Amino acid sequence: MTLRSQFLLATICAFVLAGIVHLATVLAIPHLAEKDAFSRLRATLSTDRSEIVAAPGDQGTWLPYPDPGVALSTCAYTLDEGPVRVSARTGALFQSLSLHARTGGVFFAITDRAAIRGALDLVVMTRRQLDEALASEDPDEPSRDVRIVSPAREGLVVVRVLAIFPSQRGEATEAAKAVSCTIDRE
Amino acid sequence: MRRASRERLSERRPAARAAASAVLVVYALLLAAGLGLSSAYRMTGGDYPFGAVRSGAWTVWPRAGSRDADPYTRAVNARTGGIPLGVGEGLVLRAAADDAGRALDARCTYRLGTTAPQARYWTLALYDETGRPVETPLGRASFSSAEILRDANGSFTLVLSREAQSGNWLMMPEAGAVNLVMRLYDSPASSGAAALDARSLPSIVRLECSS
Repeated sequence: MTLRSQFLLATICAFVLAGIVHLATVLAIPHLAEKDAFSRLRATLSTDRSEIVAAPGDQGTWLPYPDPGVALSTCAYTLDEGPVRVSARTGALFQSLSLHARTGGVFFAITDRAAIRGALDLVVMTRRQLDEALASEDPDEPSRDVRIVSPAREGLVVVRVLAIFPSQRGEATEAAKAVSCTIDRE
Repeated sequence: MRRASRERLSERRPAARAAASAVLVVYALLLAAGLGLSSAYRMTGGDYPFGAVRSGAWTVWPRAGSRDADPYTRAVNARTGGIPLGVGEGLVLRAAADDAGRALDARCTYRLGTTAPQARYWTLALYDETGRPVETPLGRASFSSAEILRDANGSFTLVLSREAQSGNWLMMPEAGAVNLVMRLYDSPASSGAAALDARSLPSIVRLECSS
């Protein structure tokens, strides 16, 4: 083989390898990222209340493209110690709640239209925790909890409250802050 | 003749041949790492590279807020810290150019209108290139569906410009590229961008530019 054809072969191999490196990098980024929303909110794992990420009209948030009319609050969760009970009270303002797996993907989203008597209550659990809950349940008194299976052990609960008028910004922030995420120990 | 002499040369000097192979292997590995890493880095730094649906001046990433978001979307969110709007919450539309395809510029005046897709509420916000809401002396970077003034038919016109305008007016920053984001909260369109009719989206028309 001449030097030139060896060089060509090496270049072709390099391109094929580059494709593999590219795909592996893209798949690895969510696991290695240090500036993703979950990593930034890791400090809220131990608190029971949600934390405001972007208040309406807030210029100082790290969140890219924040809606200036929305109060966004989140709780980070891990399911290692048990299922997480999320409860929010809805008011006059538009409110939505979504569950995000740590390495990406919104696996559940709901708006205040689904609230029952002004309350949105969910229990986030792993498949295994759901099986345990079902096994230990009294068949005559089934639980009324809305149970959501999380595809990952770590994730975020995100609440958005819309202030359609600037005068509602304070109210929206208070409503977003009032969401609780507690570990359900039974 | 030449080929024969080269073969003879390589037979005679196996050490040189091995060295050339080693150099080529190192070259291939470095090239692979460089190309692979840099392309992955570039594709995950800005917009979601795949899954965009264009409708007039607006772009939607309908799967970005779903469970089956593609790996690039997840990587972009991981790097920027973005928290996508879930499919059940609403839909995000972005425009970085006007109807004619010219990039939105803060020194120009634009007229938006006159309809918006069906939604319980919508907001229309103006951002700079880096994704921050624009900072103007007026302190307003967005309009909501409830705030906007409409005519008797329910249609609206919003003007984006540096100078004050009558009616619905959003003040432009001093200079630079801007982009618009429209969010439809609790919209039937969020279940599939197919339900989004291009005619229901507000048009973006450039009126004039100051130099």
